[in-house]
Amino acid sequence: MNLSTIDWLIMLVYFIFVLGIGFALKRYMRTSNDFFLAGRSIPAWVCGLAFISANLGAQEVIGMGASGAKYGIITSHFYWIGAIPAMIFVGIFMMPFYYGSKARSVPEYLRLRFDEKTRAVNAFSFAIMTVLSSGISMYAMALLIQTLGLLHGIVPDAYIFHVSVFVSAIIVLGYIFLGGLTSAIYNEVLQFFLIVAGFAPLVWIGLRNVGGWQGIKHTLPANMTHSWQGMAHASTNTLGVEWFGLAMGLGFVLSFGYWCTDFLVIQRAMAADSEVSARRVPLIAAIPKMFFPFLVILPGLIAVSVTSHMAGAGQGTGNQTKIVTVPGQTLSEADYAAAAAAHPGIKVPLDESHPHGIIPVKTDPLSGKAVLNADGTPVYNYDLAIPVMLLHFFPTGILGLGLTALLASFMSGMAGNVTAFNTVWTYDIYQAYINKKGTDDHYLWMGRMATIGGVALSIGAAYLVTNFNNIMDALQLVFSIVNAPLFATFLLGMFWKKTTGHAAFTGLISGTLAALIHHGLTLPADAVPGIHGGWITVLHHYPSDMAQNFWTAIFAFSTNLLVTIAISLVTKPRPEPELVGLVYSLTPKPVEGHLSWYQKPATLAVAVLAILIVLNLVFA
Amino acid sequence: MGLDIRIPLGLIFLLIGGLMSIYGLFTRNAADIYEKSMGINLNLTWGAIMFVFGLIMFLVGRRQKWQDDPVNPRPWEAKDRPHH
Repeated sequence: MNLSTIDWLIMLVYFIFVLGIGFALKRYMRTSNDFFLAGRSIPAWVCGLAFISANLGAQEVIGMGASGAKYGIITSHFYWIGAIPAMIFVGIFMMPFYYGSKARSVPEYLRLRFDEKTRAVNAFSFAIMTVLSSGISMYAMALLIQTLGLLHGIVPDAYIFHVSVFVSAIIVLGYIFLGGLTSAIYNEVLQFFLIVAGFAPLVWIGLRNVGGWQGIKHTLPANMTHSWQGMAHASTNTLGVEWFGLAMGLGFVLSFGYWCTDFLVIQRAMAADSEVSARRVPLIAAIPKMFFPFLVILPGLIAVSVTSHMAGAGQGTGNQTKIVTVPGQTLSEADYAAAAAAHPGIKVPLDESHPHGIIPVKTDPLSGKAVLNADGTPVYNYDLAIPVMLLHFFPTGILGLGLTALLASFMSGMAGNVTAFNTVWTYDIYQAYINKKGTDDHYLWMGRMATIGGVALSIGAAYLVTNFNNIMDALQLVFSIVNAPLFATFLLGMFWKKTTGHAAFTGLISGTLAALIHHGLTLPADAVPGIHGGWITVLHHYPSDMAQNFWTAIFAFSTNLLVTIAISLVTKPRPEPELVGLVYSLTPKPVEGHLSWYQKPATLAVAVLAILIVLNLVFA
Repeated sequence: MGLDIRIPLGLIFLLIGGLMSIYGLFTRNAADIYEKSMGINLNLTWGAIMFVFGLIMFLVGRRQKWQDDPVNPRPWEAKDRPHH
């Protein structure tokens, strides 16, 4: 890949700013409160943008683009069903307890509400999960840099992966070490705007090329351009999930488990300057979040819609790339029109007639040869949907901006995890179990050390993650096992005053065990027993790995819910006065008398819901 | 926190937008570069849009000058701080 000076210059400006923000904020980092909670002084809109940006890591930009190219606009369920309702819920109902209880982290809330052991389980599992996620982000970024040949000719090919891992690690380490959570939040805001600035023109020019949304609808099979068509049964939609598994597994258990309990995002809201601001944070975040499918999923759809006979684009200077494109692998529009007309609503098999557009064939990184299926057909590398779109449509100059946006998304994913890790480590592991009596300066120092440790562990995790070919699946698996049972604990803890600590602890453990056992007993179709499931014995086959993930989550959640309720009924609840501010029925409702109707979080929530419904109807 | 995010945000967009616009201006006749983007000079147009966005952010951020001074106590540390 040939980048010119202007492209490198744009990327350089970005990296200077990223570190510059860290240096500018260093002088404000006086107490551990400044470092871990940003002094609780950030305006709601800044926290809101950081809230989604922290989540906008590798799995969003690469995974969602890949899913868009593979499954179509149905991927938007991950946003519209899988994020927005949970974001509204956490803002309206749960934030008063997180912010108002003065807990400094989500595990600390669990200690206040339940007991030490429940906090310990959450703190340790969360710490491991953040390090894994951060490692996955790092790995994905290094792999992408290697595949695109970004550093080709600058660094010897054999070292590109390692150099990318270490350079990204050092930059993230640098700005968090200096400026703590504030630095991470500020950089996430920069990253948010850069991602929008980098991807918006890509979508615009891509849509122009394929003839707008109507052109995509004309080119692609109908089930790729409708988000609700064929959801009645798992075999008639591209995800291989029926509506119940989708709504319960993704829309309720996984989504609420992530957005309502994951300290990575909650930490952004807890940095807000007041409780009303903290409640607005997820709601403000929900607005851009709803429109992100157009920035990250649509490029995937465009990538498979661009066909070789649509001349005019991609013939320029970008053909020296290392990416192997295979001409003649795409079907003509007429083939699709015929296929769609003959079988309305019937799934078009992914392997044969699925359009590939400009998606490159997967190549073996060692031999450089194309990877083939068992029957000799090439395997397509959908993870490259968005990068290949950037190279296809962006001339030099704006290409630098596009790549900056891509790198920014990886770094925000990493940084979010590292700040969450250093806080949980320092407050919930180090201060709780190792050194209870340190001075505030000591904990500030520990936070900086934990930042170094977290980044070092992420590097280790990045080298561990090699077994998954779709980043999304790997993350979903980690989430289903760690996060899915968690929401039952919070739901009961916040809304049922009789829930006890012993019950929460046992429920959490049994929920996680249920997830593991369910994963060990079931297998998605066309997978071999092992990392994808079925490692105990195969009792049930799911139509897709996504269906398996969703049902793992449903089982984990239900097990936790039932076990927690059962044990709460036989153990002694804590006296009510101790639970004021921690449980819904015992906490005074947030005072909103001084706010005008349009300033109230509920108004914002209703507006967000209204837009959500309209979007679902338009793309139904 | 003491630094208004809109200042660095404005500056980075001013810089990147400016770089892209200038590059776009110099290459406006180079048809081979813009063949990829279907003949549209994305550098000039999008760079200019980014520049204007950066300018607005920067000016809005500059209006609140107190935030640049590391005063002690900082505004949010003051005892009589109005409750939101």
